[in-house]
Amino acid sequence: MAEFWQQVVSGLASGGIYASLALAIVLIYRSTRVINFAQGEMGMFATFIAWWLIVEQGWPYWGAFAATLAMAFAGGVLLERVVIRPVENAPVLTVVIVTIGLLIALNGLAFWIWGGESRSFPSAFSTRPIHIGGVAFSIQDFGVIGVSLGAVVLLGLFFRFTKLGLGLRAAALNPNAGRLVGVRVGWMLALGWGLASVLGALSGMMIAPSVFLDPNMMRAVLLYALAAAVLGGLDSPVGAVVGGLMLGVGLNLIGTYVDFVGNELKLPFALVLIAAVLLVKPTGLFGRATVRRV
Amino acid sequence: MRRLLTGVEVLAFAGGVVFLLFFPRWLSDFRTSQVAYVGIYFIAILGLNILTGYTGQISLGHGAFMAIGGYTTAILVGHHGVKDLWTIPLAGLVAGVAGLVVGIPALRFSGLYLALVTFAIAVALPSGLKKFDHFTGGTQGINLFGVKGMTGTLGITVFGHKLTFNEWIYYLTWTVAVVLLAVAWALLRSRPGRTFRAIRDSEVAATSSGVNLPLNKTLAFGISAFYAGVAGSLFAIATTFVSPETFPIILSLYLVIGAAVAGLGSLAGLAVGAVFIQYLPDLSQQVSKSPGAPSVIYGVVLIVVMLILPTGAGGLVKKIGEPLTNWLFRGS
Amino acid sequence: MGDLRTRLSLGLLLALGVGLALAAATASGRPSGAPGVTKTSILVGGTVPLSGEAASGGLTAKGAVGYFKYAKRVFGRKVKYKYLDDGYDPARTVQLTRQLVEQDHIFADFNSLGTAQNIAIRPYLNQAGVPQLFVASGWGGWARQHKKYPRTMGFIPTYTGEGIIYGRYIKKKKPKAKIAVLYQDDDYGRELVSGLKKGLGKLKRRIVATQGYDPTESDVQSQVARLKSSHANTLMIFAFGKFAIQAFVYVKKLGWKPKIFVNAVAASTSVMLIANQSGQTQGAMSIGFFKDPASKRWARDKGIKLYRRIMKRYVHADPKNGYYLAGMASAYTLVAALKKAGKNPTRKSLMRAMTHLKVKKNPFVLPGIVIKTTPKDRYPIEQAQLERWKGKNWRLVGKLVRAPRR
Repeated sequence: MAEFWQQVVSGLASGGIYASLALAIVLIYRSTRVINFAQGEMGMFATFIAWWLIVEQGWPYWGAFAATLAMAFAGGVLLERVVIRPVENAPVLTVVIVTIGLLIALNGLAFWIWGGESRSFPSAFSTRPIHIGGVAFSIQDFGVIGVSLGAVVLLGLFFRFTKLGLGLRAAALNPNAGRLVGVRVGWMLALGWGLASVLGALSGMMIAPSVFLDPNMMRAVLLYALAAAVLGGLDSPVGAVVGGLMLGVGLNLIGTYVDFVGNELKLPFALVLIAAVLLVKPTGLFGRATVRRV
Repeated sequence: MRRLLTGVEVLAFAGGVVFLLFFPRWLSDFRTSQVAYVGIYFIAILGLNILTGYTGQISLGHGAFMAIGGYTTAILVGHHGVKDLWTIPLAGLVAGVAGLVVGIPALRFSGLYLALVTFAIAVALPSGLKKFDHFTGGTQGINLFGVKGMTGTLGITVFGHKLTFNEWIYYLTWTVAVVLLAVAWALLRSRPGRTFRAIRDSEVAATSSGVNLPLNKTLAFGISAFYAGVAGSLFAIATTFVSPETFPIILSLYLVIGAAVAGLGSLAGLAVGAVFIQYLPDLSQQVSKSPGAPSVIYGVVLIVVMLILPTGAGGLVKKIGEPLTNWLFRGS
Repeated sequence: MGDLRTRLSLGLLLALGVGLALAAATASGRPSGAPGVTKTSILVGGTVPLSGEAASGGLTAKGAVGYFKYAKRVFGRKVKYKYLDDGYDPARTVQLTRQLVEQDHIFADFNSLGTAQNIAIRPYLNQAGVPQLFVASGWGGWARQHKKYPRTMGFIPTYTGEGIIYGRYIKKKKPKAKIAVLYQDDDYGRELVSGLKKGLGKLKRRIVATQGYDPTESDVQSQVARLKSSHANTLMIFAFGKFAIQAFVYVKKLGWKPKIFVNAVAASTSVMLIANQSGQTQGAMSIGFFKDPASKRWARDKGIKLYRRIMKRYVHADPKNGYYLAGMASAYTLVAALKKAGKNPTRKSLMRAMTHLKVKKNPFVLPGIVIKTTPKDRYPIEQAQLERWKGKNWRLVGKLVRAPRR
């Protein structure tokens, strides 16, 4: 029985990791209707910058943390203006390809600058193992989930109750109507990217302590984060977190208790399950069904 | 005017065929094999274009259909000694059926959801291939070099001409490519093509005009997968080896990149797209071999190309082509 | 036709066209008898991953190039090593190898990395008469199948052999062990497991749990937790890179204290130091056959001093990373073989030298290791030594042992 709970707790820890990146993806989708495949790499790059500040430049953790978030914001805005803006009106696929190009370039850049070895990264929370009833975990594990939930709440408040948030939503849903009422659509989109980039950086810095920092750190996580975002609904931040946690726990339990699946077919099996969920609810568990105008 | 445009297209096509026939004369033996791979990507991108460019369904997992086609050929030739040529249409069919199977639930997903689901399929497939290893050879793959059933590994004589292995795969892939291009062209000019385009432009309008949406969308998936399967089969023959890692997720991304660079919704730029994805990785490496640098170059070039040519080479051809033809034939 | 974009795009297409035309220009042919051999150079080629997950493996190529630059000429010739990035994709390996053979006319294929990758090119190279040497993979098939593929040879001890060493050690020193195994689910991990079972012999039923993982996973917490619940007191970590680090860390986190064995490729000092901070690393055992450049034990060793000189002068990278040294060990041995291949080397004379190796003084391998081959025994390195992690270092234990081949 202790094994079951251990798997659940470890699953929640992994799920928290997926959820944090899924949030960034959902935010970008919600504010720009684009899936940013480079989200993970942007977060990884930001985490490397934080690492450089802390380890090579000797900055204190929280100072580097704040500086990295600020730089991530600026970087996200810059990317949107320089790289995404020119293809705003191009077919959706073109924009997707641009984000793929960004993914490839950022991954290579991180490799080129810092090399491929794993490094350790300090954690904001204690990593000391705590044992309760035969189950081991650390504050770090739940800290990650806590930060994601906190981000969800903050985002929710921002979108609902601030003028800027309203502007962001308008820019995403109906840019032309938005312009008519004075929303600076271009800057709203840039803001969306900036915020998502901050979330991505946050995600990277939460994840790196447990999976260790290297240029490919986010590759595997991106996959699971996309799956979590789809499961929860691409435009639902709550869905991203719930989806991530469900995925994390689900993968562990399937891997442990469903024998023919074992470890090798864990991922395909999970993806099949998600596809099955989508058949019933095509916009994910918490997503809103889109109504198409004729 | 219409007939004139068709005349131009037919002329271009014939010119292309003649060019392909004699191209190897100017190439070294090794370069010929590279151009053979261009032909393989040409076929795969063509198939993807039918799906994404003409019915507007995004697939980020076409590498999986290539894998299905490739493994069909590899298993039949490598494990059962079947002659490789017969397996090509078979591989296409198997992949096509898989495409239909995927296409049916795909109806429920729109736009980016579909993209992500297909992405997931491409990611999950290698694990599946590894798991059923008594069937697929597992991580060690299936070797086809010199195997009975492989027609040309050690050179072959065709119509009295002696061909090396590289020349053989060149002519094989491009013959298939030309045939499939002609088929696609005919298909897209006629009713099915117009139906597909109607769907892409507005599903709602198409349905209200009486188009059977599920049938056509699924059909497009199946056809597109068939093409990818044929490409995969040729890939297996040309590489003489398959393993789960020969169809990585990056392949699916390359196909989408190739289709975008080629230009969705038009057949004019396909060769450009295929050449792009075949040569850019190598060129990037030639600029710099520092770890990571080739990827940076690749990514930056890709972004720049997309920024300058958002509708791909095909879009550019259209942009020049129309005013050009108007100017040439003023007053017709 | 006026707008900027159209002009830009035409220009772009033109540039692409020119670039391609340049790329299509054929390379010049090679002179004289053996391909790749000129009066002043011998060209060898290979494929390594320089991008993607296995990218650190590509560092062996850089180390080898450094050694070739340093080494004295062999009968007036310097060795040139052209390596290309195959991104660990066997299809690219095939294409790139064809390029090296048919366009660059390499004398031999050297130090290509990966099991599936080398399996993919093996029939082609053998059929074309190109020696496939120092294959960077511990698969046993290179030597086992030498009758069918006589031009192919590996270098490092096989993974199976490594597993056998662990199995025999446990049988001798800890016959009451209850063993759990974490392994990477591909040839690499599976061969280690099968070797372990062979080495344990009758004791193989003492393996109470095995958990594999796919390299596409993000972490192995779940697998380690499952292994712990088997109540094993011995853990084999047959993993790679970050997964090995994670395993050490999770074991400590779960409060588990088994005796740990970790496979050689994952156990470089730099990796262990990262795991050291929060992982259960003390007392872990592994084997070594190359000198570990990050270990204090070799600080004054002549071979390591030479290594550092070469790194400083020709490679300009962090000498503590053992991958560079692995490449140099192969390069040294190739040069030794070329010396025996004669004044006018041919592929045949090179193969003859490679199947009659007896290199005793390779400065980069552990003292006492003799690199030896015969036409029937195609395993160049068959010796290794157990080592134990203590503090921040690997300490060699006992004497050199045989890494058996089967």
